[in-house]
Amino acid sequence: MNSSRETYSIKDLKVYDEKISEIARSNKLDWYPINYEICDYYEMIGHMAYHGMPSHYNHWSYGKSFERTHFYYNAGMEGLPYELIINSNPSIAYLMLQNDFYLQVLIMAHCVGHSDFFKNNRCFKDTDPETVVSKMRNAKRRIQDYIEDPNIGQEKVENFLDALHTVRFQTERYGIPRKSKEEIKKEEIERFNSYKEKGIILDYDVLNKRLLKKDHDLLSFLLEYSRGYQKWQLDLIEIVKDESKYFMPQIKTKILNEGWASFWHYKILHELNLSDSMHVPFLKMHNAVVRPHIGGVNPYHVGFYIFQKLEKEHGIEKCFEVREIHDDVSAIRLFLDEEDFRELNMFAYKREKNGDVFISEVSDNDDWKSVRSEMIKNTGVNTIPHIYVDRIEGDGTLVLKHEHDGRDLDLDYADNVVESIRHLWQEGNVKLFTIIENEVWEI
Amino acid sequence: MSIFKKHNTNADRSASDRRRHKEKIEKAIKDGIHDIVAEESIIGQSGKKKIKIPVRGIKEYRFIFDQGNGSKGVGAAPGKDIKKGQKIKDGKKQKGKGRPDKPGNEKGDDSYDVEISLDELAKYLFDDLELPELEKKKSAELFSEKFKRKGYRKKGIRPRLSKKETLKNKIKRKNAAIRNKTHDPSEDERFTFHEDDLKYKHIAVTKKPITSAVIFFIMDTSGSMTKRKKYLARSFFFLLYQFIRYRYQNIETVFISHTTEAVEVNEDDFFKKGSSGGTYISSGLKMAYEITKDRYPPGTWNIYTFHCSDGENWQEDNPKALEYMSKLVDLSQLSGYIQIKAEQDKIWGQEMAKIFSPLVSDSFKVVNISGKKDVWPEFARLFGGKYELQ
Repeated sequence: MNSSRETYSIKDLKVYDEKISEIARSNKLDWYPINYEICDYYEMIGHMAYHGMPSHYNHWSYGKSFERTHFYYNAGMEGLPYELIINSNPSIAYLMLQNDFYLQVLIMAHCVGHSDFFKNNRCFKDTDPETVVSKMRNAKRRIQDYIEDPNIGQEKVENFLDALHTVRFQTERYGIPRKSKEEIKKEEIERFNSYKEKGIILDYDVLNKRLLKKDHDLLSFLLEYSRGYQKWQLDLIEIVKDESKYFMPQIKTKILNEGWASFWHYKILHELNLSDSMHVPFLKMHNAVVRPHIGGVNPYHVGFYIFQKLEKEHGIEKCFEVREIHDDVSAIRLFLDEEDFRELNMFAYKREKNGDVFISEVSDNDDWKSVRSEMIKNTGVNTIPHIYVDRIEGDGTLVLKHEHDGRDLDLDYADNVVESIRHLWQEGNVKLFTIIENEVWEI
Repeated sequence: MSIFKKHNTNADRSASDRRRHKEKIEKAIKDGIHDIVAEESIIGQSGKKKIKIPVRGIKEYRFIFDQGNGSKGVGAAPGKDIKKGQKIKDGKKQKGKGRPDKPGNEKGDDSYDVEISLDELAKYLFDDLELPELEKKKSAELFSEKFKRKGYRKKGIRPRLSKKETLKNKIKRKNAAIRNKTHDPSEDERFTFHEDDLKYKHIAVTKKPITSAVIFFIMDTSGSMTKRKKYLARSFFFLLYQFIRYRYQNIETVFISHTTEAVEVNEDDFFKKGSSGGTYISSGLKMAYEITKDRYPPGTWNIYTFHCSDGENWQEDNPKALEYMSKLVDLSQLSGYIQIKAEQDKIWGQEMAKIFSPLVSDSFKVVNISGKKDVWPEFARLFGGKYELQ
């Protein structure tokens, strides 16, 4: 079966888009309009390199990303993702020409789920989906201008971007808005005055120390505290910072986002009443997408499991609530119990010096919580080491600290990143304190 | 109601970023290359030999967790029969199946080992260097034109399409897809050609001036040349040989090894064989001089002479050595004396570098090598390379 590829036209796609939208609407999904771009596989790899953004500033790392994907694809080591959709209003999604018709239908159903998630999940509320596409287009233009400016040029722009990229995800982690220098100052003065009214005079030294809070958002910190940047440098920092802010929610919700989209393409499949010749391959593809990845965590697998379970145990309303207020970490913590870990067949492993890997815990009565905590450590923002600004010393030295959670940093990488931060911090030296093999380590 | 648009551009959006990435790789290769030119494994190899060069500088650094000893991870098991303490991976292999499409935090495949052939290596190394004054003797200069099948290209004209290579690519891709379970032949017999499979025969026309030049390689192989020193001398000569081979089409080489007596040997013996005994530096120089008289009259030949020793010589031979070196310098476009000597080495009497120092000029250079690290910089210096020392 399936040996001859069906031909289909855009008209056919539109027919199914209508059907899918109908079903989704009746199920109370609420998504952005979607623009589908039809492209070939080569263009698809091109879009992937820029995370699907239709316009994005140039940097060699995206060329590298293209080469890697292209290489793996040609070597048959990796298929391309079937769906690529960005968080924008309207959403932009890509359909590969080479896909069979049933697959396009699956992708469109899947994309409706993603777009609904982007529009409704709490983590995405500050991502400005209305303006993101034009903002990135403008950023690309401005960066191109800097490159062409004889006083700046390619090398300076590239070096600065290289450095910024090393810390781009060292940004706010917990959804708590960062306080600006001005806000902190205002608060502290108010506090000072309220104490003064009570007849208590605070020490100025103490006050001064309180003016710099632990800062988790390195790029915002640099913008405020490092002086002497040129205008183009300030602009580059803003551009990279904005982009991180835009992508961070996707890092935090990979499991739920993919789970939600898979949950819905699966539901829509059953309401579409497809002919067998489409229904069967659709179902097979669905099973392939949500299958466990042996030795790893497949976000489609875990996410789909979570929403299926929630629907069965608490009804569809609960699913909508979770898609609105949760991220991956909170969902794993709250909704996966011992039984689920057994069912998902998760285990934790430990690497040894010689490269051997041993199973350290399996999901049984004694150890499932350890497996869960290991999974949480490898989820969302926890995959990024937590580095924060601790203080600025008298001589301008910037002191960074690593919030050590039992996992050591890769020292070679850390050394190089600190070197980059030295390039960025114009007020003095930069130090980083971490723990390596249970001892304090200074870079 | 969604909008469907057929993307209708020919723009290859990542082209400029790919070019920039490639430039960075090439630069990294160039930077990394100087560490490996003195590696034992490349000495005496043919141009086709592939060598691995670790490429640095194109990693994308960020804070990541150590993936080494004691680090942990989590994953799904294939079945229920797993046990705590079970070994699931032996030594190396297995890589994360991370997709590179989203910003993530896996370490990824950041380090490269680029495999290049010695010929390519020569290109990276020698592009900035030149043999001085080669233009001088043009009397024997001719042009040669060659049509040569030169590998395969991705683009080409239809008649040059290589069906065999194209099919090979497709089969390769198909087998890999089956291995990785992205294609199941029992379900879909078709596995279509991709544009990337296409390979065209490439034909190159080369036009090169033929210049008559001869290079004399003279090496002291006496007992005081320790194994380590011989090895350094060979790496230097090997670079020299590759360089000349890379630069000029019609070049002759003469290999002379000497102790107290000189003997002309072939390339293989020169680079691989050792001997022992005392030293008369003059013996090698004299032989080179005599060979030029017989076979390479300086009127029509560009002559290059290089002599490598550890700086020790029997005292009584010094005047004679100086005399013959001076004669050779007069005949040669460029000549050099390469002294291989660790800083702490004691020399009886005067070292050769001192003896030869009065001859030093633009066409005669004395080079000191005390370890592996000197090989490339000194080589570059000898040929006035634009390469700057780091």
